[in-house]
Amino acid sequence: MLFVHEFHQVVGTQAAAFEAAYRREWMPLLAEGDDARLAWYFDLAHGSGLAYRVVTVTAVANGPAYVRLAERLAGGDLRSWARRLDGLQHRSEGRVLTPLPWSPSPLPMAEIPTDGEIGESSLYMEDTMWPFPGKLREYVEAAGAVYRPSLGAEKARMHMDVTLGAETMPGAGRSPEVTLLQRLSSLDPLISLLTQDLPPEVTGPGSWMHQALDLRDRWRSRLLRTAPWSPLR
Amino acid sequence: MLFLHETHRVAGRHAADFEALLRDEWMGALARSDGTRLLWYLNHAMGSGPAYEVVTVTALADGTAWEELGGRMREGDLAGLSVRLDSYRHEVEGKLLLPVVWSALQEVDLASVPTEGAPHDLSVYMQDTGWPHAPLDEYLELWDRDYWRIMRQTPPERKLLDIQACFQVAHGSGLRPEAILMQKVVNFSTLGRLLTSAEEHDPATWPGTYMAKGLEIRDQWESKLLRTSSWSPLW
Repeated sequence: MLFVHEFHQVVGTQAAAFEAAYRREWMPLLAEGDDARLAWYFDLAHGSGLAYRVVTVTAVANGPAYVRLAERLAGGDLRSWARRLDGLQHRSEGRVLTPLPWSPSPLPMAEIPTDGEIGESSLYMEDTMWPFPGKLREYVEAAGAVYRPSLGAEKARMHMDVTLGAETMPGAGRSPEVTLLQRLSSLDPLISLLTQDLPPEVTGPGSWMHQALDLRDRWRSRLLRTAPWSPLR
Repeated sequence: MLFLHETHRVAGRHAADFEALLRDEWMGALARSDGTRLLWYLNHAMGSGPAYEVVTVTALADGTAWEELGGRMREGDLAGLSVRLDSYRHEVEGKLLLPVVWSALQEVDLASVPTEGAPHDLSVYMQDTGWPHAPLDEYLELWDRDYWRIMRQTPPERKLLDIQACFQVAHGSGLRPEAILMQKVVNFSTLGRLLTSAEEHDPATWPGTYMAKGLEIRDQWESKLLRTSSWSPLW
């Protein structure tokens, strides 16, 4: 399975229409076939970054299904939808992701909800990392062996789990690049992270933070809140 | 057919190693799959933009070929070469391109694309990338009606560019709205005049009223002067 990850700069006055275009049109249109499903619809959490930014993640069965979808949007039955969306966003920045070997298995395509049922929103921390040149494979291995298990440890500082770990496909974004979608199960540790300095045991020799500096020192975190109707939350 | 467009920010001290690896190892290794061929290897012309920047365009027969390429690079026969390429550059930014319906380039006969790196003359392309503030379709219609068709009618002695391809970015693989023209420079004297003559930039006179009309659709684009290497399969 592949994941089309899009970061949308939405026209502020059209924010509701933009969301409706995904909820009322994109999600059900994709559900008519087996090639793709809208998986997540996120708003960038207010107060944590740029305004009117939306992240959508569309699951696509495989490479041929991706090309069929791209061709429908470029010149087929979804072209008019794409044209209308152009009027609702300033622009979008997309990339296509493939799961890491140690990523939790995403839901099978057929099990991703398509009914837009309302539920409780969740908060995710999306981390995007850019390993040093030539260090992508080492970083992926270390993140799977050291970082991911640390999230589940008894003394874990953050209460969150990796929902999807992925790298960017060749020709569909930047490389080397790794993205982790992490679902928070508790807010208090996040508030501590935001308001307190990291203690030496978290940043000092022997820690993941310290060890991983051999592999990368650039990453970006985004706090993303699922829409109440987002298929996955 | 998909066209995988990559902009490589090469580490300056490894520029020669990077090009040699692409020419001597990567191009041939790619061609072990019938569905994948390196088409262009282009250096951003010195003095016209960023240093040590290389553009490559790779043809992919279909989505299966693209997915297969990803697997080969992650854990297959291209994994070792991918790590070496990565070590010679700061980063690479890629996008998948689909030809628009009126593009001269639609399909490439992959079996006929050279893979041996035989030396040839150099050529220069002007790659225009535009970001309209109107729907992408309106921009592509403008390019078709008021640019491509007019440029085709330009007499050979006045011709600057041969528009070889026009692409839009495949869904979710880059920016939207964005479109790209690959244009081969066919007359360097005319290019010189374009670079040095204010008159040539007058929106009312070049070409026709296209520049003025275009402002209704877009005012942001970037031209890159890209020079093929002496071994680039297409040039």
